[in-house]
Amino acid sequence: MELVAASKMRKAVARVLASRAYSDLTWATVLHLCQKLDTSRHPFFRPDKDAKNIAIILISSNRGLCGSFNVNLVKKVVDSIRVHHPNSKITDIVSCGTKGRDEARRHRLNLIADFPKDDITISTEAIRPISHLITREFLAGKYDKVFVAFTDFQSAISQVPHVQQLLPIVPKIDERLGHIIHEKNKSEEINVDSFADFLFEPSTRALLDAFLPRLLEVQIYQTVLESEASEHSARMFAMRNASDAAADMINELTLAYNQARQAGITSEIAEIASGSAAVEAG
Amino acid sequence: MKQIKLKIVTPEKILLQEEVAQISVSTALGQITILPNHLPLVSKLVSGEIIVKKIADPEHSRGNNHKEDLMAVSGGFIEVLPDQVVILADTAERAEEIDEARAEEAIKKAEELRKEKIVDAEQFALFTAQIEKELARLKVARKYKRQRTNPGIKIE
Repeated sequence: MELVAASKMRKAVARVLASRAYSDLTWATVLHLCQKLDTSRHPFFRPDKDAKNIAIILISSNRGLCGSFNVNLVKKVVDSIRVHHPNSKITDIVSCGTKGRDEARRHRLNLIADFPKDDITISTEAIRPISHLITREFLAGKYDKVFVAFTDFQSAISQVPHVQQLLPIVPKIDERLGHIIHEKNKSEEINVDSFADFLFEPSTRALLDAFLPRLLEVQIYQTVLESEASEHSARMFAMRNASDAAADMINELTLAYNQARQAGITSEIAEIASGSAAVEAG
Repeated sequence: MKQIKLKIVTPEKILLQEEVAQISVSTALGQITILPNHLPLVSKLVSGEIIVKKIADPEHSRGNNHKEDLMAVSGGFIEVLPDQVVILADTAERAEEIDEARAEEAIKKAEELRKEKIVDAEQFALFTAQIEKELARLKVARKYKRQRTNPGIKIE
Protein backbone atom coordinates (compact mmCIF):
# COMPACT_ATOMS: atom_id res chain seq x y z
CA MET A 1 0.00 0.00 0.00
CA GLU A 2 2.92 2.25 0.57
CA LEU A 3 3.95 1.73 -3.03
CA VAL A 4 0.44 2.38 -4.31
CA ALA A 5 0.28 5.61 -2.33
CA ALA A 6 3.74 6.55 -3.53
CA SER A 7 2.82 6.20 -7.19
CA LYS A 8 -0.41 8.15 -6.67
CA MET A 9 1.54 10.79 -4.86
CA ARG A 10 3.97 11.21 -7.73
CA LYS A 11 1.09 11.80 -10.12
CA ALA A 12 -0.66 14.20 -7.79
CA VAL A 13 2.52 16.15 -7.18
CA ALA A 14 3.13 16.45 -10.91
CA ARG A 15 -0.36 17.90 -11.31
CA VAL A 16 0.12 20.38 -8.49
CA LEU A 17 3.37 21.62 -9.92
CA ALA A 18 1.89 21.89 -13.41
CA SER A 19 -1.06 23.98 -12.29
CA ARG A 20 0.94 26.23 -9.99
CA ALA A 21 2.22 28.13 -13.00
CA TYR A 22 -1.32 28.85 -14.10
CA SER A 23 -2.57 29.95 -10.72
CA ASP A 24 0.53 32.08 -10.18
CA LEU A 25 0.01 33.85 -13.47
CA THR A 26 -3.68 34.29 -12.78
CA TRP A 27 -2.80 35.97 -9.52
CA ALA A 28 -0.20 38.11 -11.22
CA THR A 29 -2.81 39.29 -13.72
CA VAL A 30 -5.27 40.11 -10.96
CA LEU A 31 -2.60 42.06 -9.14
CA HIS A 32 -1.87 44.06 -12.28
CA LEU A 33 -5.56 44.71 -12.77
CA CYS A 34 -5.96 45.81 -9.18
CA GLN A 35 -3.13 48.27 -9.44
CA LYS A 36 -4.62 49.86 -12.50
CA LEU A 37 -8.28 49.81 -11.62
CA ASP A 38 -10.53 51.10 -8.96
CA THR A 39 -11.77 47.83 -7.60
CA SER A 40 -13.44 49.13 -4.49
CA ARG A 41 -16.85 49.16 -6.09
CA HIS A 42 -16.76 45.65 -7.41
CA PRO A 43 -18.75 43.29 -5.19
CA PHE A 44 -15.91 40.79 -5.02
CA PHE A 45 -13.77 43.39 -3.32
CA ARG A 46 -16.22 44.35 -0.63
CA PRO A 47 -14.21 46.15 2.04
CA ASP A 48 -13.40 44.29 5.22
CA LYS A 49 -15.93 44.88 7.88
CA ASP A 50 -16.84 42.99 10.97
CA ALA A 51 -17.32 39.50 9.62
CA LYS A 52 -20.53 38.21 11.10
CA ASN A 53 -21.28 35.41 8.72
CA ILE A 54 -18.57 33.25 7.32
CA ALA A 55 -18.38 30.16 5.19
CA ILE A 56 -15.53 27.69 5.03
CA ILE A 57 -14.93 25.27 2.20
CA LEU A 58 -13.40 22.16 3.70
CA ILE A 59 -11.31 20.16 1.29
CA SER A 60 -10.41 16.77 2.70
CA SER A 61 -10.06 13.22 1.45
CA ASN A 62 -12.52 10.47 0.64
CA ARG A 63 -10.53 7.71 2.20
CA GLY A 64 -8.90 7.13 5.53
CA LEU A 65 -5.65 5.37 6.38
CA CYS A 66 -3.74 8.57 5.91
CA GLY A 67 -2.64 9.30 9.44
CA SER A 68 -3.92 12.47 11.02
CA PHE A 69 -4.51 14.19 7.67
CA ASN A 70 -8.22 14.91 8.05
CA VAL A 71 -8.19 15.23 11.84
CA ASN A 72 -5.52 17.91 11.69
CA LEU A 73 -7.38 19.83 9.02
CA VAL A 74 -10.64 19.95 10.93
CA LYS A 75 -8.81 20.80 14.12
CA LYS A 76 -7.22 23.71 12.31
CA VAL A 77 -10.65 24.86 11.11
CA VAL A 78 -12.13 24.67 14.59
CA ASP A 79 -9.16 26.55 16.03
CA SER A 80 -9.28 29.26 13.43
CA ILE A 81 -13.00 29.78 13.96
CA ARG A 82 -12.40 30.12 17.67
CA VAL A 83 -9.44 32.46 17.34
CA HIS A 84 -10.45 34.70 14.43
CA HIS A 85 -14.22 34.67 14.51
CA PRO A 86 -15.43 34.19 18.05
CA ASN A 87 -18.36 36.54 17.42
CA SER A 88 -19.51 35.26 14.08
CA LYS A 89 -23.19 34.45 13.95
CA ILE A 90 -23.18 31.92 11.18
CA THR A 91 -20.28 29.62 10.47
CA ASP A 92 -21.22 27.34 7.64
CA ILE A 93 -19.14 24.53 6.25
CA VAL A 94 -19.17 23.41 2.65
CA SER A 95 -17.42 20.09 2.53
CA CYS A 96 -15.66 18.34 -0.30
CA GLY A 97 -14.48 14.88 0.69
CA THR A 98 -16.35 12.45 2.93
CA LYS A 99 -13.81 12.09 5.72
CA GLY A 100 -13.71 15.80 6.35
CA ARG A 101 -17.49 15.88 6.34
CA ASP A 102 -17.71 13.16 8.99
CA GLU A 103 -15.04 14.80 11.07
CA ALA A 104 -16.79 18.18 10.84
CA ARG A 105 -20.03 16.57 11.92
CA ARG A 106 -18.30 15.12 14.94
CA HIS A 107 -17.23 18.63 15.90
CA ARG A 108 -20.83 19.81 15.49
CA LEU A 109 -19.98 22.27 12.75
CA ASN A 110 -22.85 23.51 10.67
CA LEU A 111 -22.72 21.72 7.30
CA ILE A 112 -24.75 23.34 4.56
CA ALA A 113 -23.55 21.47 1.50
CA ASP A 114 -21.49 18.45 0.66
CA PHE A 115 -19.88 18.05 -2.72
CA PRO A 116 -18.61 14.68 -3.86
CA LYS A 117 -14.90 14.73 -4.41
CA ASP A 118 -13.32 12.86 -7.30
CA ASP A 119 -10.38 10.71 -6.43
CA ILE A 120 -8.46 12.45 -9.16
CA THR A 121 -9.56 15.96 -9.98
CA ILE A 122 -8.89 16.35 -13.67
CA SER A 123 -10.17 19.76 -14.61
CA THR A 124 -11.54 22.95 -13.17
CA GLU A 125 -15.00 21.89 -14.32
CA ALA A 126 -15.26 19.63 -11.30
CA ILE A 127 -14.83 22.70 -9.12
CA ARG A 128 -17.45 24.82 -10.85
CA PRO A 129 -20.43 23.76 -8.69
CA ILE A 130 -18.60 24.73 -5.51
CA SER A 131 -17.43 28.09 -6.75
CA HIS A 132 -20.87 28.72 -8.22
CA LEU A 133 -22.60 28.16 -4.89
CA ILE A 134 -20.08 30.23 -2.97
CA THR A 135 -20.19 33.11 -5.44
CA ARG A 136 -23.97 33.18 -5.42
CA GLU A 137 -24.26 33.20 -1.67
CA PHE A 138 -21.50 35.75 -1.28
CA LEU A 139 -22.99 38.14 -3.82
CA ALA A 140 -26.40 37.70 -2.22
CA GLY A 141 -24.84 38.96 0.97
CA LYS A 142 -25.31 35.82 3.00
CA TYR A 143 -21.65 35.65 3.90
CA ASP A 144 -19.22 38.41 4.74
CA LYS A 145 -16.19 36.24 4.26
CA VAL A 146 -15.46 32.96 2.58
CA PHE A 147 -12.50 30.79 3.45
CA VAL A 148 -11.07 27.62 2.09
CA ALA A 149 -9.49 25.03 4.37
CA PHE A 150 -7.02 22.72 2.73
CA THR A 151 -3.72 21.01 3.32
CA ASP A 152 -0.85 22.82 1.73
CA PHE A 153 1.63 20.55 0.03
CA GLN A 154 5.07 21.84 0.87
CA SER A 155 7.10 18.72 0.32
CA ALA A 156 6.67 14.98 0.50
CA ILE A 157 7.34 15.05 4.22
CA SER A 158 5.70 18.32 5.17
CA GLN A 159 2.03 19.16 4.66
CA VAL A 160 0.44 21.96 6.60
CA PRO A 161 -3.28 22.43 7.14
CA HIS A 162 -4.19 25.97 6.25
CA VAL A 163 -7.24 28.22 6.20
CA GLN A 164 -7.18 30.90 3.57
CA GLN A 165 -9.49 33.74 2.68
CA LEU A 166 -11.13 33.46 -0.72
CA LEU A 167 -13.66 36.26 -0.65
CA PRO A 168 -13.61 39.19 -0.55
CA ILE A 169 -10.53 39.16 -2.71
CA VAL A 170 -7.56 40.74 -1.03
CA PRO A 171 -5.28 42.07 -3.74
CA LYS A 172 -2.05 41.08 -2.14
CA ILE A 173 0.05 38.02 -2.50
CA ASP A 174 -0.82 35.09 -0.34
CA GLU A 175 2.16 33.27 0.93
CA ARG A 176 0.76 29.77 0.76
CA LEU A 177 -0.58 29.22 -2.72
CA GLY A 178 1.99 30.02 -5.32
CA HIS A 179 5.36 30.01 -3.69
CA ILE A 180 7.06 31.20 -6.81
CA ILE A 181 5.26 34.49 -7.08
CA HIS A 182 6.11 35.36 -3.53
CA GLU A 183 9.78 35.52 -4.30
CA LYS A 184 9.67 37.67 -7.37
CA ASN A 185 6.98 39.98 -6.13
CA LYS A 186 9.20 43.01 -5.60
CA SER A 187 10.65 43.17 -9.06
CA GLU A 188 7.20 42.82 -10.60
CA GLU A 189 5.76 45.71 -8.68
CA ILE A 190 8.34 48.09 -10.08
CA ASN A 191 7.59 46.77 -13.50
CA VAL A 192 3.92 47.55 -13.28
CA ASP A 193 4.43 51.06 -12.05
CA SER A 194 6.60 51.97 -14.98
CA PHE A 195 3.79 52.08 -17.51
CA ALA A 196 0.60 54.00 -17.26
CA ASP A 197 -1.42 53.03 -20.31
CA PHE A 198 -3.18 49.76 -20.08
CA LEU A 199 -5.83 48.66 -22.51
CA PHE A 200 -8.75 46.67 -21.23
CA GLU A 201 -11.00 44.90 -23.66
CA PRO A 202 -13.97 44.70 -23.87
CA SER A 203 -14.28 46.91 -20.77
CA THR A 204 -12.75 46.94 -17.35
CA ARG A 205 -15.98 45.92 -15.69
CA ALA A 206 -16.70 43.10 -18.13
CA LEU A 207 -13.15 41.90 -17.77
CA LEU A 208 -13.33 41.81 -14.00
CA ASP A 209 -16.70 40.08 -14.15
CA ALA A 210 -15.23 37.38 -16.32
CA PHE A 211 -11.89 37.16 -14.63
CA LEU A 212 -12.75 37.06 -10.96
CA PRO A 213 -15.01 33.98 -11.02
CA ARG A 214 -12.25 32.32 -12.99
CA LEU A 215 -9.73 33.32 -10.36
CA LEU A 216 -11.94 31.82 -7.69
CA GLU A 217 -12.27 28.57 -9.60
CA VAL A 218 -8.56 28.38 -10.17
CA GLN A 219 -7.84 29.03 -6.53
CA ILE A 220 -10.19 26.31 -5.35
CA TYR A 221 -8.84 23.98 -8.00
CA GLN A 222 -5.33 24.64 -6.80
CA THR A 223 -6.27 23.98 -3.18
CA VAL A 224 -7.92 20.71 -4.20
CA LEU A 225 -4.78 19.64 -6.01
CA GLU A 226 -2.61 20.64 -3.08
CA SER A 227 -4.86 18.64 -0.79
CA GLU A 228 -4.70 15.62 -3.05
CA ALA A 229 -0.94 15.67 -3.18
CA SER A 230 -0.84 16.09 0.59
CA GLU A 231 -3.30 13.28 1.10
CA HIS A 232 -1.27 10.81 -0.89
CA SER A 233 1.99 11.82 0.79
CA ALA A 234 0.34 11.55 4.19
CA ARG A 235 -0.98 8.13 3.26
CA MET A 236 2.39 7.05 1.98
CA PHE A 237 3.98 7.94 5.30
CA ALA A 238 1.18 6.38 7.30
CA MET A 239 1.64 3.19 5.29
CA ARG A 240 5.40 3.29 5.67
CA ASN A 241 5.01 3.68 9.43
CA ALA A 242 2.56 0.80 9.44
CA SER A 243 4.97 -1.40 7.47
CA ASP A 244 7.84 -0.48 9.79
CA ALA A 245 5.74 -1.13 12.88
CA ALA A 246 4.64 -4.47 11.43
CA ALA A 247 8.25 -5.42 10.69
CA ASP A 248 9.25 -4.56 14.26
CA MET A 249 6.37 -6.59 15.59
CA ILE A 250 7.32 -9.55 13.42
CA ASN A 251 10.87 -9.38 14.77
CA GLU A 252 9.65 -9.29 18.36
CA LEU A 253 7.19 -12.10 17.81
CA THR A 254 9.78 -14.25 16.04
CA LEU A 255 12.13 -13.73 18.95
CA ALA A 256 9.42 -14.61 21.47
CA TYR A 257 8.45 -17.66 19.45
CA ASN A 258 12.03 -18.91 19.17
CA GLN A 259 12.60 -18.38 22.86
CA ALA A 260 9.47 -20.35 23.69
CA ARG A 261 10.46 -23.09 21.27
CA GLN A 262 13.96 -23.28 22.71
CA ALA A 263 12.55 -23.42 26.22
CA GLY A 264 10.26 -26.28 25.12
CA ILE A 265 13.14 -28.24 23.59
CA THR A 266 15.31 -27.69 26.65
CA SER A 267 12.63 -28.90 29.01
CA GLU A 268 11.93 -31.94 26.78
CA ILE A 269 15.62 -32.88 26.72
CA ALA A 270 15.75 -32.45 30.47
CA GLU A 271 12.76 -34.78 30.83
CA ILE A 272 14.24 -37.41 28.54
CA ALA A 273 17.60 -37.16 30.31
CA SER A 274 16.02 -37.49 33.71
CA GLY A 275 13.83 -40.37 32.45
CA SER A 276 16.79 -42.33 31.08
CA ALA A 277 18.76 -41.62 34.27
CA ALA A 278 15.87 -43.07 36.28
CA VAL A 279 15.77 -46.21 34.04
CA GLU A 280 19.55 -46.71 34.40
CA ALA A 281 19.32 -46.26 38.16
CA GLY A 282 16.43 -48.75 38.33
CA MET B 1 14.97 41.82 -34.23
CA LYS B 2 13.00 42.20 -31.08
CA GLN B 3 11.02 39.19 -29.96
CA ILE B 4 8.23 38.58 -27.50
CA LYS B 5 8.48 36.32 -24.51
CA LEU B 6 5.33 34.23 -24.75
CA LYS B 7 3.83 31.95 -22.15
CA ILE B 8 0.73 29.87 -22.82
CA VAL B 9 -0.51 28.11 -19.72
CA THR B 10 -3.55 26.02 -18.91
CA PRO B 11 -4.54 24.70 -15.49
CA GLU B 12 -3.02 21.37 -16.51
CA LYS B 13 0.30 22.41 -17.93
CA ILE B 14 2.53 25.02 -19.49
CA LEU B 15 1.86 24.53 -23.18
CA LEU B 16 4.43 26.88 -24.56
CA GLN B 17 7.15 29.11 -23.21
CA GLU B 18 9.49 30.70 -25.71
CA GLU B 19 10.51 33.76 -27.71
CA VAL B 20 8.30 34.45 -30.68
CA ALA B 21 7.97 37.09 -33.39
CA GLN B 22 4.19 37.55 -33.39
CA ILE B 23 1.01 36.12 -31.93
CA SER B 24 -2.53 36.12 -33.34
CA VAL B 25 -5.45 35.36 -31.05
CA SER B 26 -9.24 35.69 -31.15
CA THR B 27 -10.44 38.04 -28.44
CA ALA B 28 -13.98 38.93 -27.50
CA LEU B 29 -13.72 41.94 -29.82
CA GLY B 30 -12.21 40.11 -32.77
CA GLN B 31 -8.91 38.74 -33.91
CA ILE B 32 -5.81 40.66 -32.93
CA THR B 33 -2.16 40.22 -33.70
CA ILE B 34 0.48 41.19 -31.23
CA LEU B 35 3.88 42.34 -32.37
CA PRO B 36 6.81 43.39 -30.18
CA ASN B 37 6.35 46.68 -28.28
CA HIS B 38 2.60 46.26 -28.12
CA LEU B 39 0.75 48.44 -25.65
CA PRO B 40 -0.05 46.71 -22.35
CA LEU B 41 -3.38 44.99 -22.76
CA VAL B 42 -5.68 42.65 -20.94
CA SER B 43 -8.40 40.97 -22.92
CA LYS B 44 -10.75 38.04 -22.90
CA LEU B 45 -10.22 35.21 -25.35
CA VAL B 46 -12.96 33.28 -27.11
CA SER B 47 -12.77 29.79 -28.57
CA GLY B 48 -10.54 29.91 -31.59
CA GLU B 49 -7.04 29.55 -32.84
CA ILE B 50 -3.74 30.91 -31.72
CA ILE B 51 -1.17 31.42 -34.42
CA VAL B 52 2.35 31.88 -33.19
CA LYS B 53 5.03 32.94 -35.62
CA LYS B 54 8.58 32.16 -34.74
CA ILE B 55 11.78 33.05 -36.46
CA ALA B 56 13.02 29.75 -37.79
CA ASP B 57 16.60 30.77 -38.34
CA PRO B 58 17.80 33.91 -36.57
CA GLU B 59 20.94 34.09 -38.73
CA HIS B 60 19.04 34.81 -41.94
CA SER B 61 16.55 37.58 -41.49
CA ARG B 62 15.68 37.94 -45.17
CA GLY B 63 12.75 36.35 -46.94
CA ASN B 64 10.04 34.26 -45.40
CA ASN B 65 11.91 32.96 -42.46
CA HIS B 66 8.94 32.30 -40.23
CA LYS B 67 7.70 29.11 -38.72
CA GLU B 68 4.07 28.92 -37.70
CA ASP B 69 2.63 27.12 -34.73
CA LEU B 70 -1.09 26.49 -34.62
CA MET B 71 -3.03 25.95 -31.43
CA ALA B 72 -6.69 25.64 -30.51
CA VAL B 73 -7.88 27.40 -27.40
CA SER B 74 -11.27 27.32 -25.69
CA GLY B 75 -11.48 30.68 -24.06
CA GLY B 76 -9.33 32.36 -21.46
CA PHE B 77 -7.43 35.60 -21.07
CA ILE B 78 -4.49 37.30 -22.63
CA GLU B 79 -2.26 39.72 -20.83
CA VAL B 80 0.26 41.76 -22.75
CA LEU B 81 2.96 43.27 -20.56
CA PRO B 82 5.96 45.30 -21.70
CA ASP B 83 8.31 42.40 -21.20
CA GLN B 84 6.11 39.40 -21.86
CA VAL B 85 2.80 38.05 -23.10
CA VAL B 86 0.82 35.64 -20.99
CA ILE B 87 -2.08 33.61 -22.30
CA LEU B 88 -4.20 32.02 -19.61
CA ALA B 89 -6.21 29.43 -21.51
CA ASP B 90 -9.00 27.28 -20.13
CA THR B 91 -7.82 24.51 -22.39
CA ALA B 92 -5.31 24.66 -25.20
CA GLU B 93 -3.94 22.12 -27.61
CA ARG B 94 -1.36 22.08 -30.34
CA ALA B 95 -2.77 21.49 -33.80
CA GLU B 96 -0.80 18.30 -34.28
CA GLU B 97 -2.28 16.82 -31.11
CA ILE B 98 -5.91 17.28 -32.09
CA ASP B 99 -7.75 14.19 -33.24
CA GLU B 100 -9.98 15.37 -36.09
CA ALA B 101 -12.37 12.44 -36.01
CA ARG B 102 -12.93 12.78 -32.31
CA ALA B 103 -13.50 16.50 -32.56
CA GLU B 104 -16.19 15.89 -35.21
CA GLU B 105 -17.81 13.30 -33.02
CA ALA B 106 -17.80 15.63 -30.06
CA ILE B 107 -19.54 18.33 -32.12
CA LYS B 108 -22.26 15.91 -33.18
CA LYS B 109 -22.79 14.73 -29.66
CA ALA B 110 -22.98 18.23 -28.25
CA GLU B 111 -25.43 19.30 -30.97
CA GLU B 112 -27.66 16.33 -30.26
CA LEU B 113 -27.55 17.04 -26.56
CA ARG B 114 -28.42 20.64 -27.22
CA LYS B 115 -31.44 19.60 -29.24
CA GLU B 116 -32.68 16.94 -26.89
CA LYS B 117 -31.91 18.02 -23.42
CA ILE B 118 -32.57 21.71 -23.27
CA VAL B 119 -33.64 22.37 -19.75
CA ASP B 120 -32.63 25.94 -19.13
CA ALA B 121 -30.67 28.77 -20.64
CA GLU B 122 -27.58 27.91 -18.69
CA GLN B 123 -27.34 24.44 -20.14
CA PHE B 124 -27.96 25.76 -23.61
CA ALA B 125 -25.07 28.16 -23.17
CA LEU B 126 -22.92 25.33 -21.88
CA PHE B 127 -23.58 23.14 -24.92
CA THR B 128 -23.11 26.05 -27.27
CA ALA B 129 -19.78 26.83 -25.69
CA GLN B 130 -18.81 23.21 -26.05
CA ILE B 131 -19.73 23.18 -29.72
CA GLU B 132 -17.79 26.37 -30.30
CA LYS B 133 -14.78 24.91 -28.59
CA GLU B 134 -14.87 21.74 -30.66
CA LEU B 135 -15.42 23.70 -33.87
CA ALA B 136 -12.35 25.74 -33.09
CA ARG B 137 -10.37 22.57 -32.51
CA LEU B 138 -11.58 21.08 -35.75
CA LYS B 139 -10.75 24.19 -37.71
CA VAL B 140 -7.25 24.29 -36.32
CA ALA B 141 -6.71 20.60 -36.99
CA ARG B 142 -7.84 20.93 -40.61
CA LYS B 143 -5.78 24.01 -41.21
CA TYR B 144 -2.75 22.26 -39.86
CA LYS B 145 -3.36 19.29 -42.14
CA ARG B 146 -3.75 21.53 -45.19
CA GLN B 147 -0.59 23.38 -44.37
CA ARG B 148 1.33 20.19 -44.02
CA THR B 149 0.15 18.69 -47.29
CA ASN B 150 0.45 21.99 -49.15
CA PRO B 151 3.27 23.94 -47.61
CA GLY B 152 3.60 26.29 -50.60
CA ILE B 153 0.15 27.80 -50.22
CA LYS B 154 -0.35 30.41 -47.57
CA ILE B 155 -3.78 30.30 -46.09
CA GLU B 156 -4.14 33.70 -44.55
